[in-house]
Amino acid sequence: MLYSLQSTNLFILSLLAYVIGAVLGPILAPRKAPASSAGRRLAGYAVTAVFLVSAIASLASLVASYMVLSSRASVDVSPFPLTPFGHLTFRLDPLSAFFLLVISLVGFAVSIYSLGYARSFLFKRHVGLLLFLHNSFLLLMTSVVTVTNGVLFVVVWEGMSIATYFLITYEHESQPSRRAGFLYIAMTHVGTFFLILMFLTLFSHSRSFDFDSFRITASAMPWGSKTLVFFCALIGFGIKAGVIPLHIWLPEAHPAAPSNISALMSGVMIKTGIYGMIRVFFDFLGTGLPWWGFAVLILALGSSVLGVLFALMEHDLKRLLAYHSIENIGIILMGIAVALIFHQAGNDGIAIVGLVAALFHTLNHATFKSLLFLSAGSVVHSTGTRNMEELGGLIKRLPYTATFFLVGAVAISALPPLNGFASEWLTFQAFFRGFDVAELSVKTAMPISMALLALTSALAAACFVKAFGITFLGTSRSRHVQDIHESPWNMLAAMGLLAAACLFFGIDPSLVISRLQPVADFVLHRNPSGALSVDVARSISANPTVNEAPVLVAVLLLGIAAIAIVAIVVLRGNRRSRVVPTWACGLEGLAPRMQYTATGFSKPIRMIFSSVFRPSREIDVREPMSPYFKPTIRVDLKTEAIFDTHVYRPLMNSVLAALRVLRKVQTGHIQSYLAYIFITLIVLLWMAL
Amino acid sequence: MDQTVPYLIDLLAAAILVTTFLIVSSRSLIFYVRLFSLQSIMLGAVALLVVIGYGETHILVSVVLTLLVKAVGIPIVLSRLIDRIKVPKEIDFSVNTTISLLVCGFLVILANSVAEPIISSRPVSTAMVTKVLPISISVMLIGLFIMTSRRKAVTQIIGLLTMENGVFLSGLSITSGMPMIVELGIFFDILVAALILGVFVFRINRTFETVDSDTLRRLRH
Repeated sequence: MLYSLQSTNLFILSLLAYVIGAVLGPILAPRKAPASSAGRRLAGYAVTAVFLVSAIASLASLVASYMVLSSRASVDVSPFPLTPFGHLTFRLDPLSAFFLLVISLVGFAVSIYSLGYARSFLFKRHVGLLLFLHNSFLLLMTSVVTVTNGVLFVVVWEGMSIATYFLITYEHESQPSRRAGFLYIAMTHVGTFFLILMFLTLFSHSRSFDFDSFRITASAMPWGSKTLVFFCALIGFGIKAGVIPLHIWLPEAHPAAPSNISALMSGVMIKTGIYGMIRVFFDFLGTGLPWWGFAVLILALGSSVLGVLFALMEHDLKRLLAYHSIENIGIILMGIAVALIFHQAGNDGIAIVGLVAALFHTLNHATFKSLLFLSAGSVVHSTGTRNMEELGGLIKRLPYTATFFLVGAVAISALPPLNGFASEWLTFQAFFRGFDVAELSVKTAMPISMALLALTSALAAACFVKAFGITFLGTSRSRHVQDIHESPWNMLAAMGLLAAACLFFGIDPSLVISRLQPVADFVLHRNPSGALSVDVARSISANPTVNEAPVLVAVLLLGIAAIAIVAIVVLRGNRRSRVVPTWACGLEGLAPRMQYTATGFSKPIRMIFSSVFRPSREIDVREPMSPYFKPTIRVDLKTEAIFDTHVYRPLMNSVLAALRVLRKVQTGHIQSYLAYIFITLIVLLWMAL
Repeated sequence: MDQTVPYLIDLLAAAILVTTFLIVSSRSLIFYVRLFSLQSIMLGAVALLVVIGYGETHILVSVVLTLLVKAVGIPIVLSRLIDRIKVPKEIDFSVNTTISLLVCGFLVILANSVAEPIISSRPVSTAMVTKVLPISISVMLIGLFIMTSRRKAVTQIIGLLTMENGVFLSGLSITSGMPMIVELGIFFDILVAALILGVFVFRINRTFETVDSDTLRRLRH
């Protein structure tokens, strides 16, 4: 009792703190620099104070959600008993608490990071607006995962989308930002349309918008309605999650926002889509049709493989990370697909493994992706460019940022002992277990999925070799890299926190898994004290392949490394080493332009997957006037955005063509508009007779 | 009750319908405005008869306002407008007179059949409702038709005002006058609408050298 009381208070505290932060931000942060230096310093302190408020808010909800997760009991919070919508109740059930934990963990780190980040453009940009949006964004995300009413859900969902829109267009003077914002708001409205349709379908059977009533009636709905709800949820939440082919807004929007916000969007916001899917697929609908799981699986595989392939072709650091978000959403969805397939088949043992894998990867992706975005933010912040081809050699100037980026890169490449490996391994486990099932469709789908997941991980590793190597290693490629310095300590502290989390979740995954299993039990409506549950718990946590594997593999790898070092030492004997310039094939010295480029690095993959990329090359050679000058050669290399050119353009063109026909109704005559009214009235009266 | 008052109301209502038909068939702008004025006077007379015959004294205010605003005020404003904008005083039709009259005849029939269920559903159908309600609906529909089928902006104002007269008449017929506050609201509305539309027409004329609202088409991009 005391336990739940405390988490309730902490949750209310965090909501209040977000509201206070959102209100105080625009009041305290001046748009123009005050004349006196004391005033400027004061404004700086004010910004710091507001970000500290949001950090406290996130910390409070982090603790609250952790308490709920540990106590395994749902907690209802009604801070405002009387609202126009009736009772405004937030509920921290295990699923909500888990997603709240993810939101608050990343929110805390990002708030700390923003202390330093936002102060750098204080007085240059509207920091008050950023403070307001940052706090409202966190508040609305918290609400999205905790409200218990369909109408309220749509309201806070839309609020979250609108806050995101303004964050994407924060640098509103740049045309790409505005374009990205428009694309985002258009796509997210399509998604909201489907969500409203979904809630109305649910409502038509339960006659109430309460989540509790959905839980009771939705599983007994006719299959037609169930399938409609399933598809609406898949599309509506899929757009927010960035599932291919609904992803087109994501690689535009995430880079456009300020880097601290990109971390929140990519790390957390797209996860609200995952939250919605789990809530609807399992909590509301219960069991589904057999092919639902396969539909999700196909989307998941497509998203992960294509996402990482597109990422490989990107030279914009933040866009590359954005494409990796699509890939990782695909991996999360794989777990959900496995859970759907096996829950439907009644094999909850495997379903729980799949669901735990999905949840675990959600947490892991949130930590390492926000870590990567924050360190990419540091790079962009100090160099002023996002183009990798203009960077290089940053490890010497930004040693800490480079280290943190490397930790994130290793985690996202699913290498032990970091957390990315732990959850992808668990996903593999789910596939492996599915292989034992006799049913032919499952028996064929599982190995294929496994192979594609392996391919994805390998390509992701290749991509991050490129991202890290080109950005941080070698020598600097342009003047952007001159005169730069490491980020302030609070930015580094935030990255350090996330890096520590990556390491912690990776080294001891059983700790996380044991907390996640009750969540999966809750989602699948299973009695946590049931016999099967205990059995699954044992099979997960007592199974050495799941639990000990990361440590085991890490030990193995370290062993191999040790053997290699010993071998090198032995083979080298005691020859002395000399320090000399790098051999440049006999040429005079090395120029930065001679380095391996990102384009060059990704060439083999571009060739192998040319059917996906459709690369085209234009070479323009200008012969010089006189033989004493070299010819100028311009090479233009393009890869095609296949979804843009083959799906969205034709779709948009046909919609516009249809609208052009409809536009004939708009004649411009007042009389015809009046005539429309007149004719409608007459027809209606006629029909009423 | 004396049968004279309902009889007179029926007669005046019929006369109002006739003026509406005259508006449809007329060719001169000034004549339009005068006919509207006449129509409003008759409407005021109907309202006055309702006061006398049914003892609804609060309608007296409406009577005064109808006569002041609709029978005198708005016609004066519109006549001055027509003088000032110096446009050809003839009316441009998009539907010619003959067809217009035929359509209006059809509208009256429609209005009668629409009013039928309303009349029969009333427990005590007074003479006033049975005769006046169909007429008032006809006047509304014809007003809308005038707005639709005439080109000049001034004629559209007249159409709107005619519609409003129809609304007022139906209010009288069904409920013996709407609540005072609604009546006042409507009067204020119609006055402001007429004034604003008048200014609007004047501006259109200044900008486009015509009050033919067809030219507003150019605003479409």
